[in-house]
Amino acid sequence: MNRKRLLPFIVPISILLFWSIITHFHFVSKLFVPTPIEFVSALLLLVFSGEIIGHVLATLYRTLAGFLVACIIGIPIGLLMGYSNRIYSSLEFVVEFFRSIPATALFPLFLLVFGIGDESKIALSAWSAGLVLIVNAMYGVHLGKELRLKAAKTMHVSGLDTMTKIIFPEALPQIFTGMRVAISLSLIIVVVAEMFVGTTYGLGRQIMDAQLVYRVGEMYSYIFAAGIVGFILNKGFMQIEHRIVHWKGK
Amino acid sequence: MDFIKVDRVGKTFHKQGGQPLCVLDDISLRIQKGEFVTFFGPNGSGKTTLLNILAGIELSTMGMVRVEGKPPGHAKVGFVFQNYNESMMPWRTAIENVLFPLEILHVSSPQATRIAENLLKKVGLLEHKEKYFYELSGGQKQLVAICRAYAYNPDLLIMDEPFSSLDYSTTRKMEMYLLNIWKETKKTTLFVSHDVDEAIFLADKIIVLSRLPARVKEIISINLPRPRKLSMLSTQAFFRIRQKVLRMFENE
Repeated sequence: MNRKRLLPFIVPISILLFWSIITHFHFVSKLFVPTPIEFVSALLLLVFSGEIIGHVLATLYRTLAGFLVACIIGIPIGLLMGYSNRIYSSLEFVVEFFRSIPATALFPLFLLVFGIGDESKIALSAWSAGLVLIVNAMYGVHLGKELRLKAAKTMHVSGLDTMTKIIFPEALPQIFTGMRVAISLSLIIVVVAEMFVGTTYGLGRQIMDAQLVYRVGEMYSYIFAAGIVGFILNKGFMQIEHRIVHWKGK
Repeated sequence: MDFIKVDRVGKTFHKQGGQPLCVLDDISLRIQKGEFVTFFGPNGSGKTTLLNILAGIELSTMGMVRVEGKPPGHAKVGFVFQNYNESMMPWRTAIENVLFPLEILHVSSPQATRIAENLLKKVGLLEHKEKYFYELSGGQKQLVAICRAYAYNPDLLIMDEPFSSLDYSTTRKMEMYLLNIWKETKKTTLFVSHDVDEAIFLADKIIVLSRLPARVKEIISINLPRPRKLSMLSTQAFFRIRQKVLRMFENE
């Protein structure tokens, strides 16, 4: 039992050891990898000076805004595509094609259309998260049971009631799976977009700036912060998912 | 007037590139209001297709069907399926499942709750009403499904092998609960079964169907007294009917 509890720590501690050894004996240049001590002191400095908080909040805001827009647009489209063969046939090719374009390849275009401010970053993350949500909501409907629809049909349930009371809850477990993927993707897109233009705030911007002036301790700190943000978003979402789609797999 | 009138109904499926498959052939039936009718026949004998036609969710390819003098689909049909896990809503509690048809019918909330609770009480599930559907046992789930069908206040109750995935003693219990509700409401009930004991025990009238393409082999009136008791399963009268039904399949 006690041994099992230790398992999650073994690999991180090994990495830390390995890291200490290669930096201590100068196996790699200090320009690429700081010592663990340098990293931790840089991180603590950023945290206690409060400097990092603004950047975390800026990135978090863009990520969540993009994600929210994606949910509002993507989920209804996906549900309709799953429900109606006509809508599916009209949209399937377009969705598959857009999904095949690397979202970051569209960033210059989004800059042209939405300008260099927050809008273009949010729009791009909404775009890529939205496509993921469309596909998952659609699968959610397709994975639903025919029989529940047949049961609804025998009771002459209206189209709207069928959608809100049967198809939507039926697709919800798959929608949540999609949401978890989408929110991670949204964070990735935002961090990459921040590296280019249009902001002095955001983790992506800070990682880039620190790298340009070789402040590696700081650079690693911001990378670490981005990791923490992603980790918390994912874990938090799993908690919500567990509560809301309690019937999943039962 | 006959409540249900089925005249020379046939159904043939035309699969793409395959042989046309005839599942119903020249079926004629008369069913009166308030009757409990069971359909007995081998598996895959088109029973479900016949029920779907009566419920108005499939069309026959030949003949004529009338429910209360109108084409099927006009009458309110309560459907209970064999697979309760795929026909009910696991995201709702027991009582919320029963409330579903009442929401569809826009019954006011206090009245709907009263109806649903009353039904759940009759099948002994009132104390489990707040449990999620997936937390119930198989038998309990199917009882909730029966309550849902009754909550819809149907003109016609159709049950497609509702107990065939339950064990022997649960099935017998379920039959008693079902007869109990039926006795009070006298809903016309069409019940498909491939369990001969069940088909006889429940019915006023048992319609024996043949193998594919399904034809009506015989219609037997069951004149066992009501209310039915489980002890009737071992009486001479019951046994005679049972033998008569089973003999029909001996020389196939």
